[in-house]
Amino acid sequence: MFFPDNYEFYCPVKINSGNRALEHLPVELDALNARKPLIITDREIAKKGLIKKIAGAFKDSGITMGIFDGTPLVPDLKLVRRLMNNYRDTGCDSIIAVGGGAVVDMAKALNVVVSGRPEDLKEVAGEDLIKNPLRPFVFVPTASWTGFETSRFATLGELSFSSHFLMPDLVVIDPRMITSEKANTVVSTAMIALAHCAEAYTCPAKNPMTDTYAYAAMQFVTENLANVIKSGDKKGRLALANAATMAGIAFSNSPRGMVHELGWTAGDISGLPHGICMGILLPYILEYNINSEGHHMSDLLLPIVGPEVYAGTAENLKARRAINFIYDMQHDVHDITRGGIPLTLKDAGISKDALQCIAGATVGDGHTGFNLDDCMVILEHAWEGKPVKGGLQLPVHS
Amino acid sequence: MYLPEYYEFCCRVKMIAGHDALEKIPEALAQLHAGRPLIITDKGVSGAGLVDTVVDAIKDGVDIGAMADDVPQDSSLKVVNHLADVYRDNKCDSIIAVGGGSVMDTAKGVNIVVSENADDLMKFSGAGALKRALRPLIVIPTTSGTGSEVTLVAVVKDHERHLKMAFASYFLLPNVAILDSRMTLTLPPAITASTAMDAMAHAVEAYTGLAKNPMSDANAIAAISLISNNLLNVLKNPSDREGRLALANGATLAGAAFSNSMVGVVHALGHATGSMCGVPHGVCMSILLPYGLEYNMRKNAHFTGELLLPLAGAEVYVSTPKHLRAEGAIAYIRKMNQDIHNATDGRHARFLEEVKDRDGKRMVPREKLEAIAGAALDDGSIFYNPEECDYEDFLMIIRAAWEGAPLDRTLIKGV
Amino acid sequence: MDDFKEITSGNKPFKRAYVAIMLWFVGRAIQAAARVDKNVKGEFKKLPEGFTFCLGVLPKGPYMIVGKNEKGRVKYLGWEPGGRRIDLDMKIKSIEAAILMFTFQESTAIATARDRMIVDGEVPHACAIVRVLDIGEVYLLPKFIARQAVKRYPAWSFGRKYIGRVRIYFRSILGY
Repeated sequence: MFFPDNYEFYCPVKINSGNRALEHLPVELDALNARKPLIITDREIAKKGLIKKIAGAFKDSGITMGIFDGTPLVPDLKLVRRLMNNYRDTGCDSIIAVGGGAVVDMAKALNVVVSGRPEDLKEVAGEDLIKNPLRPFVFVPTASWTGFETSRFATLGELSFSSHFLMPDLVVIDPRMITSEKANTVVSTAMIALAHCAEAYTCPAKNPMTDTYAYAAMQFVTENLANVIKSGDKKGRLALANAATMAGIAFSNSPRGMVHELGWTAGDISGLPHGICMGILLPYILEYNINSEGHHMSDLLLPIVGPEVYAGTAENLKARRAINFIYDMQHDVHDITRGGIPLTLKDAGISKDALQCIAGATVGDGHTGFNLDDCMVILEHAWEGKPVKGGLQLPVHS
Repeated sequence: MYLPEYYEFCCRVKMIAGHDALEKIPEALAQLHAGRPLIITDKGVSGAGLVDTVVDAIKDGVDIGAMADDVPQDSSLKVVNHLADVYRDNKCDSIIAVGGGSVMDTAKGVNIVVSENADDLMKFSGAGALKRALRPLIVIPTTSGTGSEVTLVAVVKDHERHLKMAFASYFLLPNVAILDSRMTLTLPPAITASTAMDAMAHAVEAYTGLAKNPMSDANAIAAISLISNNLLNVLKNPSDREGRLALANGATLAGAAFSNSMVGVVHALGHATGSMCGVPHGVCMSILLPYGLEYNMRKNAHFTGELLLPLAGAEVYVSTPKHLRAEGAIAYIRKMNQDIHNATDGRHARFLEEVKDRDGKRMVPREKLEAIAGAALDDGSIFYNPEECDYEDFLMIIRAAWEGAPLDRTLIKGV
Repeated sequence: MDDFKEITSGNKPFKRAYVAIMLWFVGRAIQAAARVDKNVKGEFKKLPEGFTFCLGVLPKGPYMIVGKNEKGRVKYLGWEPGGRRIDLDMKIKSIEAAILMFTFQESTAIATARDRMIVDGEVPHACAIVRVLDIGEVYLLPKFIARQAVKRYPAWSFGRKYIGRVRIYFRSILGY
C-alpha cells in the first residue's frame, strides 16, 4: 500500500443508509439541535411523491417543516435571497436537500447565507473562504447525482465555493427515495463515482483514507452497475447511492483529476450528462497516464476486478488489465442498453470541431495544470474510440 | 461487497498524518479559531520526551497556555476538575491531548467542563446530553492501538462517590487527530506488538460483527492490511519511520471501524481478563482474537474468510480454497502471534497461562477463569457478537485460550 | 408563492396503538417470567433493589416500565414514565423502528447493531435485561419466529418450554 509522507483527510459527513432511514431524521435533527427544517427540492421529485415520503417519516414527531419544491435547473442569487427570507420568516433552523445537482448547490448556497457567513455570497466565492460552521444540513439523495452533493464544492451561476463546511452533516440514503431511473441517469451517476474514485485512487497525492472510501465505492459500482441497468435491482440501486456518497468524500480530499475536468467541460458544452462524458473518457485518460510519474495505476486492478485476477496477473500487466476491464465494462453497458450508452464521444453526438473547444475551456481557466496538447490527444482518441497508446497489447480477459 | 439492511457511520475527526504532522498544529488550531492551547499528558509521555517534541514543533506558531502532565493511569473526576481550573486560570482556548486512552478520556472530560461551564459533570453523562460543539480538541496518540483518537466516548471515574461516568456524543470527538511517526518511534517492541494487535482486534471484530457496514468494512480492511504488512518489520527494525506511521494509520482506521461497528466476544472476555487480572488490554486481544473467530465461525465464516485477503495478500487468498479461508485467516493470526513471540524474545505471550508480570509471576491463575467468564456476561460487547454467549460458552473459550489449544468447535452449543 | 409551504407532520395512531399493546404485553410477561423462570429470576436477583427499566419509542411513546421493589418482586409499572427515576432507559428511535422490532423483522440484537435504539444506563444492567427479553421471546413466540429473534434458540426441556409458556401467557393476561 502506498503511503505519502504527509497527508490530511477530513470527512464530517455522517451516513445513514437503508431500510427506514428517513424515519431516523427527527432523532438526527434533534442531535444536531435543529427543530424546524426547510426541505428543498424540485418539481420533478415532488411529482414522484418523494416529498410526501419524507413528510411521512416525520409523523408522530410533532415537527413542522417548510417545503420549497421549485428549484430550477439553474438557480440564481435572487432565488437564494428569497428563500433566505422564507427560511427566516418561518423560523427554520436547518436544511434538508432532497435530490441531486442544482437542488444541493442551491441548498448549500442558502445555508451559507442563512448562517450569516456572510449574507453576500460573492464574498466567499473561492477556495476556503467560509470560516465558520454553518447551520445543520442534511442531504437525502435520489437516484440522480452530479457527484458534487457530498463534496466540499458548490456552484451557483458564475460563483463557485469550496469549503469543508459545505459538506452535509448527514446523508440519509433510503431505498424508497432511490427510484428506478433510465439507464442514462444510472450510468452517469455510477460513472462519476467510478471516475472520481479511480482518479483519487491512482493519483500521486493518494492517501490511506481516500483509498478506503474509493476502494469501497469502486467495488460497489463494478459489482452492481450492470444489474441495476438490466433489472433495476433495488439493493444494487442502494449500493450505487452508497458509492456516490463515498465518491464525493474521496473527491473532496483529492486533487481534481483530468477525467473530472475534461468530462465536466464536455458535458457542459455538449449538454450530455456529465457522467456519460466522464465514463467515455475514463479508460482513455487512465491509459494516457499509465506510465506517468507517481501514478498508481496497477493498484486499480484489485478493487475493480477482485483478488483472483489481481493475484493471477503479473505486476507489469496489472495496470493494463485494469484499464481493459473498464473498456470491457463500457462495452457491457453499451450492449445491455442496446447502444443507448455511447462508447465514443463521436457516438455521443459531439462534433469533432467541439473537441478544441472542450480542451480549450478545460485548460483555459488555468487552475487545472493540464496542457492543451495532452487534452487534445485524449479527446481525439476518445472521439474515435481508438486506444491512446496504440492499444493495450494484452490478451483481453473474458 | 456487503451492504446491510440498515447502517449508520460517522467519523468526523480530521486526520493530519505524516513525518512532520506536528508542525501543522498551529494552522489547524487557527482554522478552529484558537491559538492558546492547554497541553494535557501524563508523566510517562512527558518523561519520554514526546511532549518536548510537540512543544518544539508548535511553539513558534501558537502561544501555549499551559502544560499539565499529571494525568493518572485511571482518569478521575478530581484531575478533570483540576485541569479545568488550569485551563481557565491560564485563559486557554483549546486543548491538545498527548498520550493514550486515559489522557484522551481526561481531555474530553476537561473539555465538557470548560465548554459547558459544568459544576457537575454527571449532568452531561448518558446519550444525547451534549447539544453543541465543545472547545477545539486536538489529540496526538502516542501508541498505535486504542483508536481513542476517533472514538466518541469517554469514561471518567469519581473515586469519592464510587461512580463511573460514561459520556457518549459526537461532540466529544476530537476535531483533529495528529498521527506523527515521531510519537511512536521509541515505543518498545512488546508494547508496539500488543497495541498493534489491539488495533487488529478492533478491525477484525468490527468486520466480522453484527454491526458491520461498508464504511467500517473499508476502514477495517485497510487497517488489517497496514498492520499485517508492517508490524513484524517494525519489530525487527524499530526506527522504521514509514512502518511506524503505517501502524499509527492502521490503529486510527481500526478505531473508525470499531467505533461505528463495535466489537464482540474477544473484547467481552478481554475486558474481563484485564479487569480481573490486570493483563494489558492489547495482550488479551492478541491471545483471544483467534479463539473469538473460531467461536463465531458457524455464523460468519464467510466474513472471517474474506480477511485472509488483507492479512496474507492476494496470492495466498486466491490459492486457498474458499471453504478453508476462515481457518486460514485464523491460522494466520496465530502465526502472527508466534512470530511476534519470537521477535520479542518471548515477551509477547501466545496464551493466557504464559502471561507474566514484571516479576515473572503468572498473571492469570487457572482458578480465576470462572470469574472471568462471569464478568464477561456484563460486557456490552456481547450485543454485537454474532453468536450467543452464555457463561458456559465464555468459560469454554477462556479455558482454551488459557491452555493455548485451538477451540474444539464440536463442543459449541447448537452446532 | 405556491412553491413554498409549511406543513405539520401528522400522526400514526394505529402503529402507536399496536406498539403500545405489544409493550404492555412485554411488560406483563417480564413480570410473569420473573416468577416462573429460574434464569429470569436469577437475572433480576442480581439487579439492585428499586431498579426500574423503561422501554419506549421516541419522541413521545408509547412506553412500558418494569421495576423491582424493595422486597425483590418484579412488577410491571405501567406506561407512564413521567417523573419516575429510570435506571435503564431503552428508547427506540422511531415508531417505524419499533414496528420492525415488534413485528419480529428485527431482533433486539439486530436493532441494536443497526443503531435503532438509544440506551441510557449501566451496561451490565442492559446486558441482563436483554437476556431477559430474549428468554421472554422464546416463551411467548412460536419457534419459527423466535428463531429469528434470538441468536441461538435454546434447547429447553419440554416442561420448561411448554408448561412455562402456558403459565407465562396465563399470568400475563391476568396480570399477576
